[in-house]
Amino acid sequence: MAYPDPAVYDTLPKLLKYNADHHGSEVALRQKDFGIWHETTWAEYNGKVARIALALRKRGVGKGDVVTLIGDSDVNWVSFEIAAQAAGAMTVGIYRDALEDEVGYLAEYAGVKVAYAEDQEQVDKFLSLMERVPSLELIVYADPRGMRKRDDARLMELDDLLAEGEDILTHDGEAYGALIGEASGDDIAILCTTSGTTSNPKLAMLPHGNFVRHVHRYLEADPKDSTDEYVSVLPAPWIMEQVYCFGFGLVSRMKVNFPEGEQTAFQDLREIGPTFLLLAPRVLEQIAADMRARMMDASSLNHWLFDKGLKIAVDAVEKNQKSTLADMMVMGALRDRFGFARVRSAATGGAAMGPDTFKLFLAMGVPLKQLYGQTETLGAYTLQTGGELDVDTVGVPFSDVEVRIENPDPDGVGEIVTRHPDMFTGYFRNEEATAADLRDGWMHTGDAGFFDTKGRLTVIDRLKDIAETSGGVKFSPQYIENKLKFSPYVGEAMILGAGRDYLTAIICIRFSISSRWAEKNRIGFTSYTGLSAEPRMYDLIRGEIEKVNADLPENQRIRRFLLLYKELDADDGELTRTRKVRRGVVEDRYGQLIEALYSDVSTAHLDTEVVFEDGRRTRVQADMPVQDVTAGAAGEMRKAG
Amino acid sequence: MAPDDMQTAGSVHRRLFDEAILKIENVELGFGGVKAINDVSFDVNKGEIRAIIGPNGAGKSSMLNVINGFYKPQAGWITFNGQRMQSMEPHFAASSGIARTFQNIALFRGMSTLDNLMTGRLLKMKTNFFAQCFYFGAAKREELENRAFVENIIDFLEIQAIRRIPVGRLPYGLQKRVELGRALAMEPKILLLDEPMAGMNVEEKQDMSRFILDVNEEFGTTIVLIEHDMGVVMDISDRVVVLDYGSKIADGTPDDVRSDQRVIDAYLGATHD
Repeated sequence: MAYPDPAVYDTLPKLLKYNADHHGSEVALRQKDFGIWHETTWAEYNGKVARIALALRKRGVGKGDVVTLIGDSDVNWVSFEIAAQAAGAMTVGIYRDALEDEVGYLAEYAGVKVAYAEDQEQVDKFLSLMERVPSLELIVYADPRGMRKRDDARLMELDDLLAEGEDILTHDGEAYGALIGEASGDDIAILCTTSGTTSNPKLAMLPHGNFVRHVHRYLEADPKDSTDEYVSVLPAPWIMEQVYCFGFGLVSRMKVNFPEGEQTAFQDLREIGPTFLLLAPRVLEQIAADMRARMMDASSLNHWLFDKGLKIAVDAVEKNQKSTLADMMVMGALRDRFGFARVRSAATGGAAMGPDTFKLFLAMGVPLKQLYGQTETLGAYTLQTGGELDVDTVGVPFSDVEVRIENPDPDGVGEIVTRHPDMFTGYFRNEEATAADLRDGWMHTGDAGFFDTKGRLTVIDRLKDIAETSGGVKFSPQYIENKLKFSPYVGEAMILGAGRDYLTAIICIRFSISSRWAEKNRIGFTSYTGLSAEPRMYDLIRGEIEKVNADLPENQRIRRFLLLYKELDADDGELTRTRKVRRGVVEDRYGQLIEALYSDVSTAHLDTEVVFEDGRRTRVQADMPVQDVTAGAAGEMRKAG
Repeated sequence: MAPDDMQTAGSVHRRLFDEAILKIENVELGFGGVKAINDVSFDVNKGEIRAIIGPNGAGKSSMLNVINGFYKPQAGWITFNGQRMQSMEPHFAASSGIARTFQNIALFRGMSTLDNLMTGRLLKMKTNFFAQCFYFGAAKREELENRAFVENIIDFLEIQAIRRIPVGRLPYGLQKRVELGRALAMEPKILLLDEPMAGMNVEEKQDMSRFILDVNEEFGTTIVLIEHDMGVVMDISDRVVVLDYGSKIADGTPDDVRSDQRVIDAYLGATHD
């Protein structure tokens, strides 16, 4: 595969211009709007970027400035991001559902000069922050709806900015070429937010050249070309989406498709039939869970076909084979139903995934591979090689990537440290954190893991999350939580036990499946809270815990649990925007529940205050039953007998 | 969306309108011995959001029905677009740009969202039945134009995800939105909304308020709405007329109406003598 030479085309704008010059009429992007897919060619893409970049430069944006973006990922977003980089600025993407406070923190911290805010909802976040972020000079919005009443002088519509750029181009056709010629591969392109399970996000500085070269390294392990189709369903600020939308898109000319909206994403995905996918484990688990939920309503014949077909297919997968029979029975139809019919390569990562779900997708003919990486290392640097069934590891490192285990214990488990020539150059305005994570050129990931005999890396948990009970038993909460989450009825789980005598669990039921189950079993309920308190729901979940307990060493079994009255929510700070549990926040907020789990009461009482999105506060009081899990004890007895 | 956001439209940016698009003069309507509307007069200016409020049975829905021709008043005059008449004919109301939504949703439940919205375009279709059957030439062009128009509304109301779903399967709040969409598809000059937020939760009400404000702002549509939720009414309307037992008891800006003693009595249930 001949990709543009990274030594020459070492910035994203240069790559875009290269594609526009050599493949100008080829489709680069598609976006569904008003029910129709609209195509953007490389020439149009580059033209749009050139206009925005020139207008931004005229308005004083240059090297060292920071431009932030918030909204849905679409053609405007990607154009604006590359344009800002072409003008010399560094870009910070903010998750579209971030609340004002989070936006304020990032904008203030980064000293943002220009903001791209998709619509009125996003613009308002900046308008109310004006005093906090005095550096902000210009807010560009794409969707004028609801904006007429906003009369802030810093507001500008994207179309007007484009017209300004158009003016400059008509006077000087070479202006854009000269502008992007200024930049070198060493300039910082992206300030990428880290996920921040423990603290406010940090901003990893990613230079153009490093980004481009690491993308080449990734493409070596998983090649793409202009016949590849990708559907952008991940949030744009996430490092992997940056790698795919910009890296893969610009280097390999893989086509990037933007769905009409968040809710239509899967419908639109099916229309495109992508050849390459990255879906987070929780999305895959949601798909699998919804599928099972729908099968609950199917006729008995369909049910039988599904179960039988699935079993044959999974059996085949376990023997590294493929079953044509199962494919004809059900798997082919499923593959088509979800829009996976043309998938040639699929990846998942960011969190562990249940082996059953993993096998299900393999059985469906989706060649799913796990990858592993961090924002700081420009995303993935290990990938499964495929070939044989491997549900545990994240595969082998890319070429030129060194990974070692620091201070391994006798089992070979220790901190994963890594380096390659093109990592981040430090955290923006945070030398202290840089020095802590980047020592002698090695990135200390903070993850615990080990290499298996075949040289494949296995990731266990965050190093600091590996806990010890008061009896000195080491355990990984995440490992047990993941096992629990393989149950379709469990949405989220949090294992406790550090410094305590035994392990307990706070569990959030998965409402979509559990409600279906309740209806099926004629259990009346009115809400999530109601169903969570239902005794038969408790029985069901206890059964699921008992199954997990059976696979765990005796001293790591869950002894007591309760079902939380609400789902954990990123807006309440309980999850990160990439939906990882913020352990500290949860432990803090639900301290009363945790105390109840470690006493002999049968009801946990919670009295807390919640803050709504609009700032209103309300007191919440809830009672949740606490139950013992007996299977552990029963298991012991069986063993004894 | 924060509540203070809505206030910007109502109280902070006080807007001025002076051209009446609809004038109700001394209208009376009775059913047998019951006087549903008793000598009510008010006007609606072009481009404003006008609310009609009042306790149950005050005659609010009857008033809307008079405006769009469902009911023929026994006395009084209606002036619409400079045309003065004693009663409105429903087809005249529809074809001259008065669209409405209903308190109890009136959609084609078995039809998709898209098809329901397309029915809103029927009055705009000029080609004949046969041309439409064969779908060629002008009929095809017309269909495409109308579809494009409807897609704009779908985008505007953010209902892309339910484009193909039969409306009977949609939750209540979304059905209300589809109904608003169908009314918008008629490109109305005046939009009559009969309790657009009845039965909604806070979040749905906020969404609906936003849409109403946006419709008014983006398309310049004059809006007459009946609503029970005083908070919402005061936040989004330019002027409010208050009915009680079929009679007008107050008329003015939300602030005026809010402080009017008769309104307070009507709402708090002071004794009538």
